[in-house]
Amino acid sequence: MKRLRLMVIMLLILALSLTLAACGSSDTEDAAGEEAQEEVQETADEEEAVEEEINLSGTTLNVVTTSGGMYAPLFEKFEKDTGIKIEFLEMSSGEVLARTRAEGGKPMADLWFSGGIDAFMMAKNEGLLEQYFPEGYEEIYPQYRDDDGYWYGKGLNIIAFIVNNDILEEKNLPVPKAWPDLLNPAYEGEIMAANPAISGNAFAFVAGVLETMGEEEGWKYLEELDKNIPYYGKRGRDPYTKVVEGEVAIGITYINKSILELEEQYNVSIIYPEDFIPWIAEGMAIFKNAKNLEGAKAFLDWVLKDENMQMLAEIDMKDTNMMVKPGITAYDLGVPMDRFVEQDLSVFGERREGIIEKWVELVGDK
Amino acid sequence: MSKSKNMVYKAIDYFIFIVLVMLLLIFILRPIYAIIRTSFILDGKFTLDIYRNLFRDNIRLIKNSLFVATLTTIISVIISINVAIYVSLSKGRIRKILILLLMLTMISPPFLSSLAYIKLFGRRGFITHDILGLTLNTYGWQGIVSMQSLSSSSMNAFILTGIINRIDKDIIKSSLDLGANTSYTIRKIILPMMKPGILNVALLTFVRSLSDFGTPMTIGGAFNVLATQAYLNVIAYSKMELAAAICVLILIPAAIAFTQYRIFSRKNVLYTQNTIANEMLDEDQDESIKPKGPLWRFIQIFASLFLFTMIIQYLTIFLTSITQYSYGKMYFTIEHFVHLRKYLGDSFIRSITYGFITGICGGILSFFTSYYVEIRKFRASRLLDFVVTLPSIVPGVFMGIAYILAFNNKPLELTGTSAIVILNIMFRQLPSNTRVYNANLSQIGTQVADAGKDLGAPSIYIVKDILFPMSKTAFMTNFVNNFKNTMTTVGAIIFLVYPGKKLATLEMFSAIREGKYGVGAAASVTIILITLTINILMSRLIMRWKNVR
Repeated sequence: MKRLRLMVIMLLILALSLTLAACGSSDTEDAAGEEAQEEVQETADEEEAVEEEINLSGTTLNVVTTSGGMYAPLFEKFEKDTGIKIEFLEMSSGEVLARTRAEGGKPMADLWFSGGIDAFMMAKNEGLLEQYFPEGYEEIYPQYRDDDGYWYGKGLNIIAFIVNNDILEEKNLPVPKAWPDLLNPAYEGEIMAANPAISGNAFAFVAGVLETMGEEEGWKYLEELDKNIPYYGKRGRDPYTKVVEGEVAIGITYINKSILELEEQYNVSIIYPEDFIPWIAEGMAIFKNAKNLEGAKAFLDWVLKDENMQMLAEIDMKDTNMMVKPGITAYDLGVPMDRFVEQDLSVFGERREGIIEKWVELVGDK
Repeated sequence: MSKSKNMVYKAIDYFIFIVLVMLLLIFILRPIYAIIRTSFILDGKFTLDIYRNLFRDNIRLIKNSLFVATLTTIISVIISINVAIYVSLSKGRIRKILILLLMLTMISPPFLSSLAYIKLFGRRGFITHDILGLTLNTYGWQGIVSMQSLSSSSMNAFILTGIINRIDKDIIKSSLDLGANTSYTIRKIILPMMKPGILNVALLTFVRSLSDFGTPMTIGGAFNVLATQAYLNVIAYSKMELAAAICVLILIPAAIAFTQYRIFSRKNVLYTQNTIANEMLDEDQDESIKPKGPLWRFIQIFASLFLFTMIIQYLTIFLTSITQYSYGKMYFTIEHFVHLRKYLGDSFIRSITYGFITGICGGILSFFTSYYVEIRKFRASRLLDFVVTLPSIVPGVFMGIAYILAFNNKPLELTGTSAIVILNIMFRQLPSNTRVYNANLSQIGTQVADAGKDLGAPSIYIVKDILFPMSKTAFMTNFVNNFKNTMTTVGAIIFLVYPGKKLATLEMFSAIREGKYGVGAAASVTIILITLTINILMSRLIMRWKNVR
């Protein structure tokens, strides 16, 4: 019996040490192997490209997107027009970045559709994206496309207020009209914004404030506003959901179709600030080492065509001013272009990290 | 028995053991090692930089985490003991209804439970604001503790009911016959015999609370814990190495809890002579057990209150799925279910298939793990037990990322397959599965196995003919647990699932992401109904199968 136990323990130790050794050595191999594999993959892709130009029909394009249900009609049209089948998976930008990094050059999908442009810029810098200049590239306003061809805007998200009329009435609070109104001490504990590190839209708000008010005034404004905010939402959708649930009176939120529809369902109103409207472009891009690279390219060519952009505008319920190229007539949400913040786009790229750091310092972990 | 036959049995025994150890090494230690090493390697060099100020910087979060986890554990254990005793001593139809309620309420759809909580107890919650006229702030540690306790208690109570069921009813009966009142019987007989179960359930709840980031994110408000901080570091701040280091930080209290658990369970070795597993669903309790007395009254009221709260919570989810608002006015509709039809099909069938695989394979895997830990008890068994606990300590998201890191290259390239998703769900459930088996097997006691051995039965027969059949309540509990977890899991698999291979929970989540709570609730009601039906059918099947005497 004792011998049995001894043997078992020895085996266990042996197995343990073998695995640890394997883990240790495989890591260095992994890195080398990865590179080699990448090269192989690239040449394979090139070969495929030549073949597949003849016929992409019947292939599958894997897409990660912020909201598949919403874009399903667009994807179905693409399928009908090109014969390429789209399979999609919903992920937030943060999840996409974390997962693509971990996957080490073997991305889960070919195309990344929708999500704050800040994440796309980060992905480009980290070498996670594939370069491509689609047909219709020239027509996109230069500020909504990457000069190097790694990402493209698909539309703009604007930032506005959503208010719960019941609470405003109950607490006898005025309806906010412009950004400075939010500093009213009467709103203490009644304003919700999302954490700008998590949500690109929340970051757009911070960036817009800094751009319009200037660095010094802007930070002072954010610091004052912080006093009225009980805590920052850890999901991009928190500000409007908390308003709908009646947890707070005012939310600083992005606007899209499903949020516009809330006005018909609940006693909430959407208010476009009178002084300025922060915005952020939503992106689309091809992942580096995409398996169906040609399919992803075909999608970009296709989606930038006028009729498809038109469909996208209708799905997103965007104002004409919120489209990335001219000539698309969409909704009139009553948001004149001159109220849009004249945003220096570098704010979403190289300046982002500095701003986030300063913001974290300002609010602590609230 | 011939010697050569004996050799064959021994060989099989060794083989199973080695396979088991290899599986644990590959699917638990390897991924966890892959993720933890990111916190030690910066620019290709080994460094401890991240750990230098880690403790000091996070001291508040450590306190928050410990506070919430301890409180949740205490509350959940108290609730589940009461509920379990109530269920076990109830009779006939009431008992059946109670078990059905437990099986229903342990299916806790992520996010929607919190939503229901806000709808009921939030600042404008139905109960707090509309009925009681209060405006309460539910966000903060109160919210986290309430949600975590409520959502873990049903499962805990279900496990404990299974344990009480294994106590020989004759002991309880004779105690009552000898003139002992119900209170005495509960305190002196039932509670002590539940101890292994209580310890296991407490450890699980504590560890789960430590690693839960979803509840604090939804309902914690400004109150942060370690797990949320780790999550934010990955998702928002792109600091994987810091996130991994915080995971290591979470391991410390979990390891302490584990040693405490080990010390306690050594002191309380209990034996029951019961060999007949009672059928939880079918068997009518002996009519002669008539519990009464103040303690019994208290248990009844306490358990009923809990179940009542849970029923309201589930009604809220159900109501959300069949109502829509128009300009602030609520009306009934089936449009959410109609909308849901688009999503139905593939992903639900996939979820059910995965559920069956994890339910059965997870059950077998945990049985053997527990067998070597609790019955065979060799020197390294405690280490083995700790390794098995690890997947529940590491927050879900990190187990997801860990699996990508460990399996996106040769020799074992699994990314993109269904296998990686199933393995991940299965090994994440292994801790609770093993705990259930540990409690059951330690209750059966090593003597039964020893007795078998004395009679010359080889281990393999002891396993096949005695231990496995005798612990079928545990197998059933685990199947139910694994199945419902596969149907509701979300944290880790968002990193492992590929487009076109979605699971039912992801459909539910995409509706919620779009702000379509009604559709999300409809998806969740569908998930709950499917899970409940399959769990009831399967547990009946498992309990019917081979009764040993």
